[in-house]
Amino acid sequence: MSELFQNLLRDPQSYIDGDYLAGHAFTREQIEAVHLAGLRKRFNELRGQVPVLDRLATEQGIDAIDSLEDAVPLLFPHTVYKSYPLSILERGQFDRLTRWLDGLTTIDLGKIDTAGVDSIDGWIKRLDEQTDMRLLHTFGTTGKLSFMPRMREHWIQSTTLTAHAIRDWNGHGTGPDLMSARLPMVQPGYRYGAGATYRGVEAMVKLWAGGDDNALFLYPDDYFSADIASLAGRLRAAEARGEQGRLELSPGLLARREEFAHREQQRPGRMKEFLQTAIRRFGGRDICLFAVWPILFEWAEQGLAEGMRGLFGTGSLLMSGGGSKGRVLPEDYREQIFDFLGYRRTFEIYSMSELMPGNPRCEAGNYHVPPVLVPFVLDPQTGKMLPRAGTQTGRFACFDMLPDTYWGGLVTGDEVTMAGWDEPCDCGRRSPYLHGTIRRFSEIQGGDDKINCAGAPEAHDRAMDFLLHAAG
Amino acid sequence: MQESMRVPFVLRGEIIDDCTVEHGGRHGQARFLTPDIESALGRLPLREPSRMADLYSLTMDDIVGYLARLGKALDVRTNRHMQEAFALSCRTSGLSEPILRYYYELIPQSFEPAVVREMAERLVGIDYLEGWVEQASALHTGVPTRVRAFGARCVHVIAGNVPMVSVGTVVRNAFTRSDAIIKTPSNDPLTATAIARTMVEMDRDHPLTRHMSVVYWKGGDESVEREIYDPRGVEKIVAWGGFASIKHVTRYLQPGLDLITLDPKHSSTIIGREAFADDVTLESVARRLALDIGAMNQEGCVNARVVYVQSGTDAEGLARANRLGELAIAALQQLPEFLSTPHKAFDAALKEEIDGLRYAGDEYVVYGGRKNEGAIIVSQNDAPVDFARQLACRVGNIVPLDDIDTAVRSVNAYTQTIGIFPETLKTQLRDRLSYQGAQRLVSLGAAALFEDAATPQDGIEPVRRMCKWIVEQTSDPVMLDNLARGTM
Repeated sequence: MSELFQNLLRDPQSYIDGDYLAGHAFTREQIEAVHLAGLRKRFNELRGQVPVLDRLATEQGIDAIDSLEDAVPLLFPHTVYKSYPLSILERGQFDRLTRWLDGLTTIDLGKIDTAGVDSIDGWIKRLDEQTDMRLLHTFGTTGKLSFMPRMREHWIQSTTLTAHAIRDWNGHGTGPDLMSARLPMVQPGYRYGAGATYRGVEAMVKLWAGGDDNALFLYPDDYFSADIASLAGRLRAAEARGEQGRLELSPGLLARREEFAHREQQRPGRMKEFLQTAIRRFGGRDICLFAVWPILFEWAEQGLAEGMRGLFGTGSLLMSGGGSKGRVLPEDYREQIFDFLGYRRTFEIYSMSELMPGNPRCEAGNYHVPPVLVPFVLDPQTGKMLPRAGTQTGRFACFDMLPDTYWGGLVTGDEVTMAGWDEPCDCGRRSPYLHGTIRRFSEIQGGDDKINCAGAPEAHDRAMDFLLHAAG
Repeated sequence: MQESMRVPFVLRGEIIDDCTVEHGGRHGQARFLTPDIESALGRLPLREPSRMADLYSLTMDDIVGYLARLGKALDVRTNRHMQEAFALSCRTSGLSEPILRYYYELIPQSFEPAVVREMAERLVGIDYLEGWVEQASALHTGVPTRVRAFGARCVHVIAGNVPMVSVGTVVRNAFTRSDAIIKTPSNDPLTATAIARTMVEMDRDHPLTRHMSVVYWKGGDESVEREIYDPRGVEKIVAWGGFASIKHVTRYLQPGLDLITLDPKHSSTIIGREAFADDVTLESVARRLALDIGAMNQEGCVNARVVYVQSGTDAEGLARANRLGELAIAALQQLPEFLSTPHKAFDAALKEEIDGLRYAGDEYVVYGGRKNEGAIIVSQNDAPVDFARQLACRVGNIVPLDDIDTAVRSVNAYTQTIGIFPETLKTQLRDRLSYQGAQRLVSLGAAALFEDAATPQDGIEPVRRMCKWIVEQTSDPVMLDNLARGTM
């Protein structure tokens, strides 16, 4: 444990190949020391290289981080990553979008040539071609995509860290070692894309499945379009305001609508075929399945009705999350799903597109914060840090110390309840944890402006519908 | 937790004070108790249209006299109901106390005889309200046709952003001799109620009192609305406000029910290059801009939000726009407190958007916006911020332009008021702005003032539409007879 502790003080990324479980067993003093060391290191390294961070630090008059409180004014509002003007996209000014992104990363984007780029997808592809950046986009809060300047190496790191978490979360070696077990990977989604759940696929296929031959996707050759996701978000926002008739579509998007339409029309049939193929190829074997609860329940409901159950090996793994939004599931939905799948090993995390590490869910239903993530609970009114003592409810903010090319400080839109500073969780782990009751502030205030992973397909469908019926 | 305020119903001269149902106010601050609307539903609509007849025993002089007495009785310094309404508004409204006080003190003025007469004359025509008016015709040679404006049975779903909406509804209902059911909003549940209670105390059997009801139910409650929006008891609905509230109402539309919508709107500003003529002019323009953004704490649809400025978009142009932004935020802080104050419940989501911009490279310059003091965001290109529709709590967005046409093209049917500087630009653009959908063109600074309020609203004449326009014609009996015989 002290080895990990010493390593983390020096280099947060040493956690990736370090002892995952030991990171959840630090003493209070060790956690504080790791947090402060990580913040200092990243601040000192990144301030001179990330213009937006430098501007914020200058404005706040902060030149050094001496305490956790010092870091709070340096956490970015989550809106920073979508603060570009939408008109840039509408007018196809991707040079300006590049310049905007340049302010958020140490990577020099000054030489990126955006000539001929006429879509977000095209812009992301251009960045892929000319840099090691593997940009991530969200699914569009209030009509705009956030863009995170993550690097190729970061995806490898977070995929590796997740594998170690799965292997060691319940004790060293208690879970499958995805890096070597070569479990077939089953995902009812897109193989390609820069959306939050798709960008990591490349590294997972390579590092976990061992190649595309050992993986199955609903859309094995297709790319999840950022342009469609962007349109879905804008459409949702316009609908909420009664301005649906006023959306203007770029010619580039209209030109591609035949292709989108074709794929969407085939979706229900393909989903059925996908499940059949998964059973044919991998039935009875241990697999690694990624799917949100509503889709799983749909499969289980139909499958159980047709007498299908116990389809996969008991050593399989389910990676799920996303809640059950948009659909009311029966109380025993998980049991039905487990019956259908034939196994119950599930790895659930609380995370968000902006963060590299996830917070695994324990037996007590809490989400544990790994040592490379500095968690804060802020007073929702004043924005001040609430003490690291007892149980505190407020706005979740955090500092992700893994990324080394962009600033990992973020104030989220989520309300959380955090504890674990004075006494360990009921599960026995000593790391600070968030209660299972996490919700969006925007929902508390009466609206719901987030299209989360589970809600995205629905919004995506509506966007398609709009695109297909739009004049042009 | 503060104690829940009681909001009784006023039903045709009767006060129902059995407050058992709790409702939440906006901004998460105040809660209030009302009677159960279910128990009042049966008596609320006027099912027998003939019961409108008592209003026609009154002359316009009677109506003006009644309203004059009412106005005097509504003095917030002495009227206990108005004091309660003021106190509750201080908790439910987006306006802060000094602004509310100013509006409450203005209320009696709206009931003065000269004001009421001018409203009736210009918004309808007193002769049409008082009797049958012969229609001159160059074509028709017989007895002239007569037209008269009758009152209608009307539900008013009113807005609560300023107390003047309640006041105007009561006055309009009286001089059109209509029957009103006012559904109050949760951000101002008591002003209309206080006026109606005062009417009951003043003269409970007066026809004008008997044709006024004020109730509250939660907008969208289908079991209530299906009963009320029924053409057997109601002929017209006047719906103010947000997209959601109007969407609720449209569910119940059917033949016999006329919907008059005062849609959700936003207003903007167009400032020509003359603003930059010299420092004195620019400072004055900034002060007037602050008025358009800040008056009524930007709670009104008339308030400026996006501000198009013909500053130019090159480096010098942006510097000019930024200078205006700097002056405007300073002017905003200087506005007298009865017009504008820092917002008491600054929109948290808007704050996050502003915080995001501050570090978004060189696309925007933000003045203010640290706490609740308001903000001026200056776009460093010719496009408004993406959250332009969310601008509130004294936040304006200056958009620099090279060509004023860009501003003209941005106007549409959602644009209510446009404050314009200078006057010559207003004259020059007024027709084109009207084609685009703009509904009210004013001098920069006057957007949220109502110097001359007896005007059309949102591009329509809602008071004329509140009336039923009845035609009476007389024809020559011999001609009709011959027509029937085929002997013409």
